[in-house]
Amino acid sequence: MPDVIACFKWVVDEAYIRKGAAGALDFSAVDYKISEYDRNALEEAVRCRDEGGGKVTALTAGGPEAAKGVKDALSRGADTAVFAGDPAFAALDSSQTAAVLAAVIRSRIPYDLIVCGEGSGDQYAQQVGPRLAENLGIPCVSYVLKINLAADGKGIVAERRVEEGIEVVEVPFPVLVTVLPEINTPRIPGVKDTLMAGKKPVVTVKKEELPALGEAKLKTLEMAAARMERNCELFGTTAEDIARLVATLQQKGVLG
Amino acid sequence: MAGIWIIAEKNEQVLELLTPAGQLAAPDGGRITVVVPEAAGNPEDCFAAGAAAVLLLAPLPGETALGAWLPVLEAEIKAADPDVVLLAATSRGKELAARLAARLETGLCSNCLSLIPGPDGSLVMERLAYGGAALQRVTVAGRPVMATIPPRTFPPAATVTGREGEVRKLPPPPPDPVRIVARKEKERSAQDITAAKTVVCVGRGVEKREDLDLARQLAAALGGELGCTRPISEELHWLPDNLCIGLSGVQVKPELYIGLGVSGQIQHLTGLRGARMICAVNRDPNAPVFAAADLGIVGDLYEVTPKLIEELKKLRG
Repeated sequence: MPDVIACFKWVVDEAYIRKGAAGALDFSAVDYKISEYDRNALEEAVRCRDEGGGKVTALTAGGPEAAKGVKDALSRGADTAVFAGDPAFAALDSSQTAAVLAAVIRSRIPYDLIVCGEGSGDQYAQQVGPRLAENLGIPCVSYVLKINLAADGKGIVAERRVEEGIEVVEVPFPVLVTVLPEINTPRIPGVKDTLMAGKKPVVTVKKEELPALGEAKLKTLEMAAARMERNCELFGTTAEDIARLVATLQQKGVLG
Repeated sequence: MAGIWIIAEKNEQVLELLTPAGQLAAPDGGRITVVVPEAAGNPEDCFAAGAAAVLLLAPLPGETALGAWLPVLEAEIKAADPDVVLLAATSRGKELAARLAARLETGLCSNCLSLIPGPDGSLVMERLAYGGAALQRVTVAGRPVMATIPPRTFPPAATVTGREGEVRKLPPPPPDPVRIVARKEKERSAQDITAAKTVVCVGRGVEKREDLDLARQLAAALGGELGCTRPISEELHWLPDNLCIGLSGVQVKPELYIGLGVSGQIQHLTGLRGARMICAVNRDPNAPVFAAADLGIVGDLYEVTPKLIEELKKLRG
């Protein structure tokens, strides 16, 4: 009967980021979403609960605007949510996020298993999961493709992707895993799920209720638009066009 | 500089990381220490490429994972107090780096692409964010400065023969709660598309698995390799995931990339940044891939690809 915590992040939807003047990024038209990888984490937490019983708590740290994400997470099957919501938590680095989540978990949420996405959709630093495990002093299994509850019910058997293939590992509870997108297909919440989400309990934790927030260990000096544009010369699909394209490739010396 | 540490699983990763490490160490003769599994490492290579010391991780019992070395590495790094610790950004390397950074209470630049000493003695590092749409410039507040660097970001370091150094075996790690119960060889392509001069990449526009043959024929006509976008390997499982190009897959640096039915999501395009020439074939004139391409054909890949193959065959006689 594992109690599971699914961690998620409310992020900018990168599809709405525009390129502004002088290479700056324009966030004026952006929308927000639960980071894609974290949807897999939520789904897997719910699946583990459905298999073994227990309870799923969705957990996030963010600015007050992330409240929308809390409701979204609850509509994806979590039983309850804890929201470390404070203007001071709006732009944390990985070490700070892990510290806030660890403080909230230690003081408020009993657990056997913690599930995180492999990385976030915005910065994709892939650090919060492993750092959180260290802050809590528990083992960590990252880049997981499959989770089964151990036969004795006291841990998990997880398949994790490494460069040479797959390592199947057995770990006793409590344990943290970070999951890959292939692990499952996240549900798309329906109207009923959204309505039910509004009735589920949410605990909001403010900055003052937690230990003092440490300094960011990674400082962002600049976030500039990556230059990807090339001048695309367009060709048609006639035989002549294709011949001209192949001739261009040869002329540029890229045909080896 | 009190020194630079490199931690990697493979000898070739060590030699690549010795390139930025050598550049950082050069101005004031910092000492470079390499940590590598005994079974994979080659101390002579490391010394030739600029390392002063090689610390070997002895083979572990079959059920023990590499992460078991964490407390040993933590103690060694605390004792040596290096300025910089660089790790190869493999699955294990990235996890190890984040856990070490937590224990050392320092910052870590994940998937770092360049490191440049700043005027104030800091190290300015670059990485991609927002799926590759942004270039993020960061510094670390804390000691040591840590970074994970994707394999093949840097070329192997230049070697000088006749150099020597210190070799030491690290003490064995304490028992670890994570126990390996089985290892599976995953289906992998023997091709290494990261080194290919020509890459033909298939995307969602390819309708059926059998149609991959068409792309294979084009790759063969070009003497190139086949790659794919994430949905092809991870959702449809038509190709092994070491052929998946992009932010979460491999980075390619070919002379020529041809995308067939690739729409051009930013996460994929990020994997092609190093391509010399990008050519795209897509039915949709608004597909984002065209903005990132040098040459484009707005058309059906099923009509265009056979014509391309025919034209290439003509050319090659």
